[in-house]
Amino acid sequence: MKNSEITLTVVIMICIGIMLSLTFNASTYVTFSTAEKNFGKQFTVIGELNLDKEIIFEPKNNLLTFFASDSMKNVRKVFFYNTKPQDFERSEKITMKGFATDSGFIANSILMKCPSKYNEDQLNYNSEI
Amino acid sequence: MNYIGEHSLIGEIGHLLVCINFVFCTLASISFFISSINSSLYQKWIKLSRISFFIHVFSVLGIISCLFIMIKSHYFEYQYVWQHSSLKLPTKYMISCFWEGQEGSFLLWIFWNFILGLFLIFKNKDWEAQLLTVISLIQSFLGSMLLGIYIFNIKIGSSPFTLIRNLEENINLPWTKLDNYIEIMPQFIDGRGLNPLLQNYWMVIHPPILFLGFSISMIPFCYAIVGLWKKKYSQWIKFALPWTYFAISILGTGILMGGAWAYESLSFGGFWAWDPVENSSLVPWIILVSSAHLMHIYRAKKIKLRLTFLITLLSFILVLYSSYLTRSGILGDTSVHAFAGGLGSQLLFFLIFVIISSFIIFLLNLKYIPNNKKEEHYSSREFWMFIGISTLLISAFQITWFTSIPVINKVFGTSMAPPIEIINLYNSWQIPLAIIIVLLIGLTQFLNYTKTNFKSYLNNIFSSIIFSIIVSLVMALNLKLWHPIYFILLFSCCLTTLLNIKYWKKIITSKFYFPGSSIAHIGFSLVIMGALVSNAKKNIISNNKDYIHKDFPQNENIYLEKGDTTKMDKYYVLYKSDSLEGINKKYEIEYFNKNKMGQLEYLFTLNPFIQLNNIMGNVAEPSTKHFLLYDVYSHLTFAETDEKDESNPYHHESIINLNTGDSIIYDKYFFYLDSLLVHANTKIESDKALDVLIIAKIRLKNIYGETFSTDLIYAVKDNVAQSFPGFIDDNGLKYKFIFSNVESEIGGIQIKAYEHILNDKPFIIMKAIIFPYINILWLGSILMGIGTLISFINLLKKQKID
Repeated sequence: MKNSEITLTVVIMICIGIMLSLTFNASTYVTFSTAEKNFGKQFTVIGELNLDKEIIFEPKNNLLTFFASDSMKNVRKVFFYNTKPQDFERSEKITMKGFATDSGFIANSILMKCPSKYNEDQLNYNSEI
Repeated sequence: MNYIGEHSLIGEIGHLLVCINFVFCTLASISFFISSINSSLYQKWIKLSRISFFIHVFSVLGIISCLFIMIKSHYFEYQYVWQHSSLKLPTKYMISCFWEGQEGSFLLWIFWNFILGLFLIFKNKDWEAQLLTVISLIQSFLGSMLLGIYIFNIKIGSSPFTLIRNLEENINLPWTKLDNYIEIMPQFIDGRGLNPLLQNYWMVIHPPILFLGFSISMIPFCYAIVGLWKKKYSQWIKFALPWTYFAISILGTGILMGGAWAYESLSFGGFWAWDPVENSSLVPWIILVSSAHLMHIYRAKKIKLRLTFLITLLSFILVLYSSYLTRSGILGDTSVHAFAGGLGSQLLFFLIFVIISSFIIFLLNLKYIPNNKKEEHYSSREFWMFIGISTLLISAFQITWFTSIPVINKVFGTSMAPPIEIINLYNSWQIPLAIIIVLLIGLTQFLNYTKTNFKSYLNNIFSSIIFSIIVSLVMALNLKLWHPIYFILLFSCCLTTLLNIKYWKKIITSKFYFPGSSIAHIGFSLVIMGALVSNAKKNIISNNKDYIHKDFPQNENIYLEKGDTTKMDKYYVLYKSDSLEGINKKYEIEYFNKNKMGQLEYLFTLNPFIQLNNIMGNVAEPSTKHFLLYDVYSHLTFAETDEKDESNPYHHESIINLNTGDSIIYDKYFFYLDSLLVHANTKIESDKALDVLIIAKIRLKNIYGETFSTDLIYAVKDNVAQSFPGFIDDNGLKYKFIFSNVESEIGGIQIKAYEHILNDKPFIIMKAIIFPYINILWLGSILMGIGTLISFINLLKKQKID
């Protein structure tokens, strides 16, 4: 085999490796109940912030606790050991990465989607008329 | 109907210009195509084509002016103006409104494209007709994104000149039928304003540079297409190569400016986060670099021509793919700063059209493209350059594949989420690839094309290897960077820098010209070195000692009360004050260190601030102190920005039940009820006399043994009780006590105690990071930008001589 053919083969093999490695590394979007079947294992849950229940931020402990409901409308208490993100209450959807415990879901990171910031929301014109 | 106060004329002009622009782009493309068929048609049609192109240029300038006038004059009846601007927006940021929205950023792209198109009209007469056919076609695709018209119920494009009352969701609503709607509806007084993240000087300069980079990458693509079309399979490289370097220079600078913006004004603490938006501009850059090097190989050895075509076509396709990813809304849950959707299907159509048509042209010509089957020797420069290019392609593939998870989900119907540890995953792929690439950039310099004498090669590089081992050992010792993979990368960067300096000296003396390649290579290895050291050895100094678990980022933040000096790593920090400056709430954080005498010595002040924005939410911006060898970065992760309500200053009610002589602990005090004096009137002497008067004498003792006392009075007249509160002030800590009830059954009294709102000291939560040697990264960025720019100029000059 020629040098360039060997190189090409190696490149293609590595690329296939990359493609396959994604399926091993990708996490899945799950519900709280799936996460609870595997306590301590990392999952990504997309949920909505439950505004009816209390959102408590304890600055000295750096702990934010809130309630979120997942796509199956299961509500769980979520512990986020970090500061409260700006405009947390406004978030529409929260992507939470973390693991489940018997007292609640422990989030290592959360990503919020704020309707006002990134989506082109509309004015509420009709309330005026 | 005539709407009062509506500036409809300018919108109509703007919309007309948008349509003219689209028509004349298409016309230019068609007539350039006809004039490229043969020379007699050329004579007839070229004038018309150029005129059409000029009309396109003027209409784009007109569109930009109309939009700017609308933003500047605050015509909030227009959706674009309302969404991206406001009365309070400073003039310097008005220009940023252009690239906050989809429509405006397309306009920016079109603007750069026509400038490049004009340049080619005047500079390359032989290839003009074909080149401009392609460019005008691209322009008409981009121009169609601004149309905002309906054809058979399908919306084509989105116009920046749409009135809010004409938006799809508002049509036929009752208020749109009122002729004075602007006057009576308060929503039209002010716009929503510019996203606070964009109100930053970096965001005035970064997007135009990035878009210029995207635009320039179109030119090598056009040359490749025209090279195939005119069957000039090798001449096109001569023209395309300088522009490829120009694109590398500008796009690279744009990407690194984005990194600088993220580092200076965003909160994630770093300049690169492998965000899909960042990735999708990095990938075209990597492909451009591969394409430039393939062109060099071809020029030297006349090999790999097919691959050169393919990769050059791919670079522009990836630019389009990148804009599809970031603008279609498909990234959704995986990125925080993607545009919202709307033009997804139109962009997808554009992308697929470009992919299919360029590959058809490529495949039709495939058998005619010279395919030199000569085998490259393993000791040749071209062989190792090719290995480097392959590594770059693998790197680009990995980034693209992992960034495309939402696309993969859509195509295959899967529901994969991005990996949890995505940053580590990218690093674990990219760091080994970076080692190979960096090493090859250095080691290939002293290889010859065709074949290299191993002995003389070793002579050339030997001293540099020894020297760079020493340098990297010293650096690693200094930084404690002993992770084996990181150390190898550090060594590779040192070696490549040294080898390129050596090579630069060698070629600068042998030829009378100033080569850019070595500068760019040195720049690249310094960027990698700076990125490695500042990231691998970044030190979060605000570590909170309240340890819960190593995985919880909780311990990365420090809690600071106003006026208190707190130890933070080797520093002492003081949250001194805060003040409101315009829309920014600025915090003054002073850094001290302890000298040998044990006294605090003032070092510097950092001013992280919070941009207050009621509509879009507050944005915290970090502040960084730059030193030559390291940066101290401080960022507020939390701060209370609401003003306290002074009209009702006492809160936190607690109820205390106790009897004479009892003591309890309240807040930080021992609380005593010393005595209760009771006056009861049995005889009614006058109407004004009280029935019962009780005085409770209370005393508070703090930890220093200081006592504070006050009297609480409880009075009853005609069965109505009234209470007179007592106050205590311990060095500004204020409390209020109310004698609220007599508990006759247990023989005691009930007191309600309140704390003053100012007893809670204002606090902030801050994250502070030391980034060592980050200046290496910036120095490398500048060198890379300059080096590639020099290559562009040199090649342009050489092209003239040829």
